[in-house]
Amino acid sequence: MNSTSATISPVTVLAGAPAERGLLSWVATVDHKRIGILYLVTTFGFFLVGGVEALLIRLQLAVPNNTFLKPETFNQLFTMHGTTMIFLVVMPALIGFANYFVPLMIGARDMAFPRLNTMSYWLLIFGGLLLHFSVLTGAAPAAGWFSYAPLSETPFSSSTGLDYWIMALLILGVGSVAGAINMIVTILTLRAPGMTLRRVPLFVWMIFINSFLIIAAIPVLNAAIVMLLIDRQLEAHFFLGIQGGSPLLWQHFFWTFGHPEVYIMALPAFGMISEVIPVFSRKPIFGYSFVAASTVAIALLSFGVWAHHMFTVGLGHTADLFFAAASMAIAVPTGVKVFNWIATMWGGSIRFTTAMCFAIAFIIQFVVGGLSGITFAVAPVDWQMHNTYYLVAHFHYVLFGGTLFGMLAGLYYWFPKMSGRLLSEKLGKWQFWLAVLGFNLTFFVQHLLGFMGMPRQVYTYPDLPGWGAVNLLSTIGAFILGFSMLLLGANILWSLLRGQPATDNPWDAWTLEWATTSPPPAHNFQSVPPIRGRRPLWDLAHPSQTDAKNATATPPGESAPEKNKALMIVFIVSEGFFFLMLVIAYLYFGRTPGAGPTAASSLNVGRTALFTICLFASSFTVWRAERGFKRKDRAAMNGWLAVTVLLGAVFLTGQATEYWGMFERGVTVNTNLFASSFFTLTGFHGLHVCIGLIALLIVLGLTRRGEARDFQSPALATVGLYWHFVDGVWVVVFSVIYLRLLL
Amino acid sequence: MNTKQYLLSAWNWSPAVIGACVAASAAYAAALRFRFPARSWYFIGALAVFFLTLTSPLNALAGGYLFSAHMLQHMLLLLIVPLLLLLGLPAINANPARRWQGFRLPTLFGWMAGVSAMWVWHERTLCELATRTETVRIVQIISLLALGTVFWWPLFGPQARQRISPLTGVVYLFSACITCSVLGILITFSPAGSVCPIYLHPPDQPGILSLIRHDWGFTPAKDQQIGGLLMWLPGCGIYLAGVMAMLARWYGAVETDEGAATQSTQEERPQLVPARATARKQ
Repeated sequence: MNSTSATISPVTVLAGAPAERGLLSWVATVDHKRIGILYLVTTFGFFLVGGVEALLIRLQLAVPNNTFLKPETFNQLFTMHGTTMIFLVVMPALIGFANYFVPLMIGARDMAFPRLNTMSYWLLIFGGLLLHFSVLTGAAPAAGWFSYAPLSETPFSSSTGLDYWIMALLILGVGSVAGAINMIVTILTLRAPGMTLRRVPLFVWMIFINSFLIIAAIPVLNAAIVMLLIDRQLEAHFFLGIQGGSPLLWQHFFWTFGHPEVYIMALPAFGMISEVIPVFSRKPIFGYSFVAASTVAIALLSFGVWAHHMFTVGLGHTADLFFAAASMAIAVPTGVKVFNWIATMWGGSIRFTTAMCFAIAFIIQFVVGGLSGITFAVAPVDWQMHNTYYLVAHFHYVLFGGTLFGMLAGLYYWFPKMSGRLLSEKLGKWQFWLAVLGFNLTFFVQHLLGFMGMPRQVYTYPDLPGWGAVNLLSTIGAFILGFSMLLLGANILWSLLRGQPATDNPWDAWTLEWATTSPPPAHNFQSVPPIRGRRPLWDLAHPSQTDAKNATATPPGESAPEKNKALMIVFIVSEGFFFLMLVIAYLYFGRTPGAGPTAASSLNVGRTALFTICLFASSFTVWRAERGFKRKDRAAMNGWLAVTVLLGAVFLTGQATEYWGMFERGVTVNTNLFASSFFTLTGFHGLHVCIGLIALLIVLGLTRRGEARDFQSPALATVGLYWHFVDGVWVVVFSVIYLRLLL
Repeated sequence: MNTKQYLLSAWNWSPAVIGACVAASAAYAAALRFRFPARSWYFIGALAVFFLTLTSPLNALAGGYLFSAHMLQHMLLLLIVPLLLLLGLPAINANPARRWQGFRLPTLFGWMAGVSAMWVWHERTLCELATRTETVRIVQIISLLALGTVFWWPLFGPQARQRISPLTGVVYLFSACITCSVLGILITFSPAGSVCPIYLHPPDQPGILSLIRHDWGFTPAKDQQIGGLLMWLPGCGIYLAGVMAMLARWYGAVETDEGAATQSTQEERPQLVPARATARKQ
């Protein structure tokens, strides 16, 4: 592939640049490939931590009535194991793969925002450290990875562990959202000519859809944990069952995030499988459009089924019935995928490389996890099996047997590209078989434990018939599994030191990342091969047998949006979900007002309406400023910008007056649920207005200093969008809180 | 009165509904000059759903007895009937002389129409009024049909150039789905009667209420919950089906855009042979 003629500029320019070497170059890097590797190394480290935690749990459970761990330690261990594996291993590892390969697969030189990318990575590091720092403060969080209220509230968890958990998740959440926004904008704006959205590799497509899931789901979690933090630190009681507070609302909020989260962790693995299976079956993916469209269906459905995590809390038969049906509906698009993968292998000439073996094991084990998932969709079965080891077995089949095996397939497939060296197939096969044996031994028997009624999250169990033996089997399996992961580490080390050098395209694959050297140069491509279909390298190697239906020189027009605007729009969507949850909380607590101040008794609609007009007027003035910018009229632009800032400040003053009046009358955030939800909602809006003001001031400062001399900068248009969003949120907040009082 | 008697007696042979169906069929047949393409089945479906929604016992139940029946009716009139109607319309070859034929609704307007039809009619006072007063009820039915048509128009309007791009359509439908879900969620988890209090104490003809409450087991709380859940989950299912249709159109358009439309069944085959040939070489 390298024979394609080298273009001049990047090579010559980069040859003059100093070579990036040493530790500092890794710390300071903004190269998506290095960041991808940093992600993967970091997650492997956290994976070892989480794995040791799991092994400790299994050791404690190996025999009945064990006293190896104290109950509190056990609770901390399973909480940390879950949190670590989900937020510090699976999600960032998938983001790491995406970071490395999405730009390569679409023929781009880097991500759309390399420095934002770096920020996402460092937030992962600091979030992870903060979470583990809780151990040093005396106690790790111990309320499970879902931190169910009221257990997670101060009266029941008074140590600071949970506060660290909340702060860590907020930081990790910001990093994930930033990463997801970056992915979306990269895929939308940086695709090479000819790489239309209908031709992107399925891994890229799934990362694309997955990023939308992230920007929608993570803000929901953020809203929930912010409310929990307000409960814990400011003595509100959103989720405490007193004076109208609702522990159930926590579960609703958490699973509104939690169920899409399951697919956030699964979809990218689906994508990897969809890359690996065709290449090692020597056939194009069967039904590309079905795999792609079913991904969208899964993503949308995943937001509508969270209540199946809550069948045991007593939602009533009616709700159970609807959610059972909706949950089963998700099996349809997932089944479509499984059939497509099988049909891809059908009649192909399969090469059983380690990557392919992991992919096949993924399909089988994921189907097992999916089938036990369908049994959970049947509410009566769920009542019986929920919170038993059957559930533990189910989600480990999905997340370990599914996602992690998928990632291992991806790792064996892409490692030569990342390192320039092949992994040992022999060691790989050993690892594969040990992992399959260890995994199934650990978790298959847990189905049986669940049938026998063994509850999960309990530090020990009595010596009931059969329980001890089955648990011991599970523990032995866990250690075999752990050993197989050490083999993976050994394999990687061996390969880096002694491994056989990899060619550019060792698997004879068809997507763009294999068109460049292994490992790729800093600028990724000397020149991107022509893209006329979904398998550019196949078309290049077999000009007479190109993928017929897509063969055309002129791709259908899909114009790329401007990247800063795209970033802001995606960010706004994400913020929208955050505010949506706060509005829902306000409405939810407003249904049955408790004792104490209410909206009617403490708010002044008329005065706020005046300030509201100021805020809405500022949307108009910012629009005038943009018009001035477009007409290159500096005076008009600066003038209107200054008016905008002034109007925003007036609005904030109005808000401050309202707050002050309420404080005077003793209405504060912990007075009652109206006050708590009112201050949370309007407070976060006010914070956004402040941020908008700062951004406007920066733009104003830049234009006054003449930075925007050429009138090309997208800064004003982008900040303007954000400002309109802040106003738009206030339209909703003002109607929900104030205008309703007039009805 | 038992269930069977009720289901047989509660039909409402409204002359207006029958008249509307006959007039619509006549206009449709005339416009097509009695040559019916396959898509006419959609039109027949639209008429059938419209007719049954407004004449069957569903209509009687929706008129004060069951909020869930009202919700089902609301969704059928807003989402199903206009959709089938648009799908049943023949493709119009636009005449450049008639500019109104190329009329394109602003996308946001269509979206607002569909979403506000859900929210506004479930505002407490309006919901109450529409159930009590016949005139308001007629306005409601007509507005639902009209707003539903406006909502679906940018997606399934009869002319391709009046439609928005399929990916925009996905966003359009998904955001509508979220908005309606929120309303559904609020209705589901609100106290009974807080959405439309009339359903708590319907003006009863003897015997019917006890049939519904006792034999069928619809307590006011459960009734409202079903209503909310209908809007939330099956309602979203309709939008989701629309999303799938958009994606099918998007992926289907690859061939037509790129001028190899007829090979759709054979396209995978020629690739298989060389694929194996390469594998054998290794």
